[in-house]
Amino acid sequence: MIFTAPWVLLALLALPVLWWLLRATPPAPRAQNFPAIRLLAALRPREETPARTPWWLLALRLAASALIILGVAGPVSGGGGGALPGAGPVLLVIDNGWASGPDWAARQQAASAVLDRAERDRRRVALLATASGIEAPHATAIMPVDMLRPMLAALVPMPWGDDRAGAARAVAGVATGPGVYIGDGVAGPDDAAFAAALRRRGPVIELRGALPARLLSSLAGPAGLTAVLTQTPVAAPRQEEIYAETGDGRVLARTPLSVPAGAATAQARIDLPSEFRNQLSALRLAQAPGAGSVVLLDEAARRRPVGLLNAGSGDTPLLGTNYYLERALAPVAEVRRGDAATLLARPLSVLVAADRTLAGPEGDKIEAWVRQGGMLIRFAGPSIGSADDLLPEKLLEGDRQLGGAMSWSQPEHLAAFPPGPFAGLALPRDVTVGRQVLAEPSAALPENTWAALADGTPLVTAARHGAGEIVLFHVTANADWSNLPLSGLFVDMLTRLVQRASGVEVAGDARPLPPAQSLDGAGILGPPPSGARALGASELATAAVSPIHPPGYYGLEHDRHAFNLGGHTALHAAGPMSGAAELSLAAAPQAVRLGPGLIGLALALLCADLLLTLRLRGLLRPAVAGLILLLAAVHPAAAQTAESPALGTHLAYVVTGDATVDGVSKSGLSGLSDYVNDHTAAVMAAPLPVAPGKDDLSFYPLIYWPITAGAKASPAFIAALNDYMRQGGIVLIDTRGGGADGAFAPGTDAALRRVSEGLDVPTLAPLTSAHVLARAFYLLTEFPGRYEGATVWVQQDQDRTNDSVSPVIIGANDWAAAWATDEDGKPLFATIPGGARQRTLAWRFGVNLVMYALTGNYKGDQVHVPAILERLGQ
Amino acid sequence: MIPKLSRAGGRPAAHHGLLGAAEAAGARLPALLVAAERVAATVAQGVHGRRRVGVGDTFWQYRPFVQGDAASRIDWRRSGRSDRVYVRDMEWEAAQTVCLWRDASPSMAWRSVKGLPAKRERAELLLLALAALLFRAGEQVRVVGQGRVYSGRQGLARLADTLERGADSDGLPDAVRVPAQAQVVLAGDFLAPLAEIKACLARFAALPVRLHLVQVLDPAEFELPYEGRVRFMGLERDGEALIPRVSGVRAAYAEALQAQIDGVRALAAAAGFGVTLHRTDHAPETALLALFMALDATAARR
Repeated sequence: MIFTAPWVLLALLALPVLWWLLRATPPAPRAQNFPAIRLLAALRPREETPARTPWWLLALRLAASALIILGVAGPVSGGGGGALPGAGPVLLVIDNGWASGPDWAARQQAASAVLDRAERDRRRVALLATASGIEAPHATAIMPVDMLRPMLAALVPMPWGDDRAGAARAVAGVATGPGVYIGDGVAGPDDAAFAAALRRRGPVIELRGALPARLLSSLAGPAGLTAVLTQTPVAAPRQEEIYAETGDGRVLARTPLSVPAGAATAQARIDLPSEFRNQLSALRLAQAPGAGSVVLLDEAARRRPVGLLNAGSGDTPLLGTNYYLERALAPVAEVRRGDAATLLARPLSVLVAADRTLAGPEGDKIEAWVRQGGMLIRFAGPSIGSADDLLPEKLLEGDRQLGGAMSWSQPEHLAAFPPGPFAGLALPRDVTVGRQVLAEPSAALPENTWAALADGTPLVTAARHGAGEIVLFHVTANADWSNLPLSGLFVDMLTRLVQRASGVEVAGDARPLPPAQSLDGAGILGPPPSGARALGASELATAAVSPIHPPGYYGLEHDRHAFNLGGHTALHAAGPMSGAAELSLAAAPQAVRLGPGLIGLALALLCADLLLTLRLRGLLRPAVAGLILLLAAVHPAAAQTAESPALGTHLAYVVTGDATVDGVSKSGLSGLSDYVNDHTAAVMAAPLPVAPGKDDLSFYPLIYWPITAGAKASPAFIAALNDYMRQGGIVLIDTRGGGADGAFAPGTDAALRRVSEGLDVPTLAPLTSAHVLARAFYLLTEFPGRYEGATVWVQQDQDRTNDSVSPVIIGANDWAAAWATDEDGKPLFATIPGGARQRTLAWRFGVNLVMYALTGNYKGDQVHVPAILERLGQ
Repeated sequence: MIPKLSRAGGRPAAHHGLLGAAEAAGARLPALLVAAERVAATVAQGVHGRRRVGVGDTFWQYRPFVQGDAASRIDWRRSGRSDRVYVRDMEWEAAQTVCLWRDASPSMAWRSVKGLPAKRERAELLLLALAALLFRAGEQVRVVGQGRVYSGRQGLARLADTLERGADSDGLPDAVRVPAQAQVVLAGDFLAPLAEIKACLARFAALPVRLHLVQVLDPAEFELPYEGRVRFMGLERDGEALIPRVSGVRAAYAEALQAQIDGVRALAAAAGFGVTLHRTDHAPETALLALFMALDATAARR
């Protein structure tokens, strides 16, 4: 044990004086009422032996005083192993590149322990950080430890790699002896020079962290977005989690990633429907704050949906019009097939209509969509007519034949692309056009022409229509009129068009992209640092991350490109530094302060002394002392009451066996019970798990049944539910898929069909706002849960024997996740597409459900119709 | 064997506690009455004969008829036995008054241990038990210094009320409003200086009354069961005494207390009054019996 203020120990010399004082002072006398005081006062006491404090009380007080003196002297223990090597000033080198971000706190703590040790040995220290910024790394001057501590606290990890060469030069310039190096485990090209420079100064200790250096990157493919984790290999397998986040920080998906022992890379696919995938702006590694754990996503990772209108024979292989279009569009966009109504029901970027007239209601719908900002790509063909007005230019009747048996001319080649969306595309020499439709010459034709043939005839024309665009290829989408669809140029042209539709300008290559936002060392986006410079568009793929090009977003507002560490940095594990003693970070010498503990013990002794003195004076009432002891010793015993379901109104949820789903059901129903208790006169108790077939269902007004993909239902289960519904219960079946196709919970629709085979489900109809359920407490027109848009089904006919209450309600909006709250009352799951209104509507739907279950057709009574009509009328 | 009385309840309880205890004390004392009837015949009978002619029930004398007597008073049986006409006279009988007093000063409202009653409570218990006996025997009771007379069953309740509510006063009674020929009982601790007690008793001796003292003391006042260095504080603002070692003064204190008790006894004997000494940890029946006997002895002597 070492004392940081040893001169305080001189106060121990005063202890004998204290002992003499305490012994000489008599204790305070006991006070006592006495009526015969007159007789006592007249007495003269015979002997005057002074009263003394008992010896054990003296010893207690002396011990307390001694402990206080020892505590104030600041004893510090620990610090046996890990002595600093050599003698003289120490150089502390810290790697603060991107790889040190995740465990930066542990590194700072180890550095601070080294400083403590140097302070104890009374040695001065100089500090060197290897990743500093625009200027080269330089070491601080050699200074006492307490002047260096603020500088250590001000160090932060940087989002670029370490500059070992600069660090080697800085080491050469500082006059210290031994060195302590806290490395981040990533190898660089100048490691040997750096190690040699350190060794030249004196003995070196290297401190290594236990976590591997990890780098996250992403791959966007036709199958989806894949996260790729690169790390320095470690011996134990690791589990990581990847969060897919939107621009405002909402987490849309959590994907687990397992890295086997000794592996250097691992991959995981991010599972999201494409609308939500397009909202993502970053992938982040959980529990690893740093620039290397974040991948920023830009347009290249997004797949805009493209719709192909059905053509009659469009799917015929090699001959059909849609065949080539699908293959050309598949790598760059998500392709959907259908007719106009289906395609336009969901948000769409591009609609491709090959060889069709667009007229009638379909044409009106498409025109309205184009006016709102969609891009319509049309291909000419035999059936396209000049009477069609969804065309960029008026077309001449008939078409033009080039080459062929009955003509003098040869099929034409393409001319170089004028400035426009196709500028810069390489032109293959074998693309020819044999037949095309012609556009009527007009004043606007030259500027609407995006591609032309060698003789100047337009091949691709386009015009704005409202907020959107209509593009017309003057050839067919198959190989009938030209071999353009057979070439790679077709793919490039369609890619450019799709990118143009999503708002990305693809212009010339060499323009500079200024930095718009940058990641800092902790992985947070913010304004770019002062030394950041613009990056050329062509250098995006090849540049290295450095202080002048920090990772982040580059470009102007409509042309954002992401520049990540992930795809631009090679990760190699650094071997142990040669010639250095190696220690792990956690074994850095730590000092344990004993002072506060000793002072606390002394205070406890003084409290005991106070109680004893009161007792000696007779002032301590035994009742009060007993009460104090009782308060100190009592443990609040929680009474375990097994709640009988008949004692209150409980909602119930079917136990599915999947712990996650059951947990969500429970927290969702308890959140709903709390909301109902707060907002209505109903009093709901905590929800209970129930297993139909085993438990008695008759206590519960409403049973929530979430369907999982592997759901199974035994005959006893189905019989119990049938019985329950016949007796007047309500079952709420939730397939949790959400949206039009249940994309969030694949397989649950099939599972529902499977498990409800024996269930007495009556004829169902969609739930509308005219139904009692939509009016039972709140007036609702939509019934969202965590997701929205799925239809909710209730019984079609009114069954008077069941009080006109629907025994089953089927939906897919995952209501339990919308109602789930944690113990602070904060919601656990984000609503998709989001917004406070969706969550409020989900709560209201839940309240309506509970009221419907508790009151039946009360709100369906005709008595209330005038009041309801009046409110609806307002 | 006299059955054990229940101790009287604490001060704050309704006077029913005291009354009930007193009544219980009285209810269990027919044995006491029977035992004491031999010497207390006049008390058990009720009204006392005043050995004069007057209104009453007991025959006193025959006297010859004179002009002016009512003719219905002639006793024909006696007159028929002789030639003259005689009138029967009865003895004058009147109830006797007992005056009670208890010390209500703050030094009486003290107990040494929780289990013992305060001295004032014990004194009041004794007085009320005595009053219960007296009411049963038909006597009247007054409180020294007040003019109100209590008798009968209701009187016991009212007397208990008055005693309990009595304001704190000085340690010794004033000899005012004491009817002649009354029996006075004073209950207190009589720890005042002997000169003051002598002056008080002298005032009572000047009156034609019979007096009895009951000295109620706490056992702690006898034994001084304290140890070590104790600061004793008086209850009536009469100062403090810091005793460095109580065990050293215990013997001297016992002597002083005995001197005080003997002094009170001597003063009372000099005036012809009796003293009963009572410790609160002893049973109250013993004091009650002694008090009873003392009252009858006083009555019998006169």
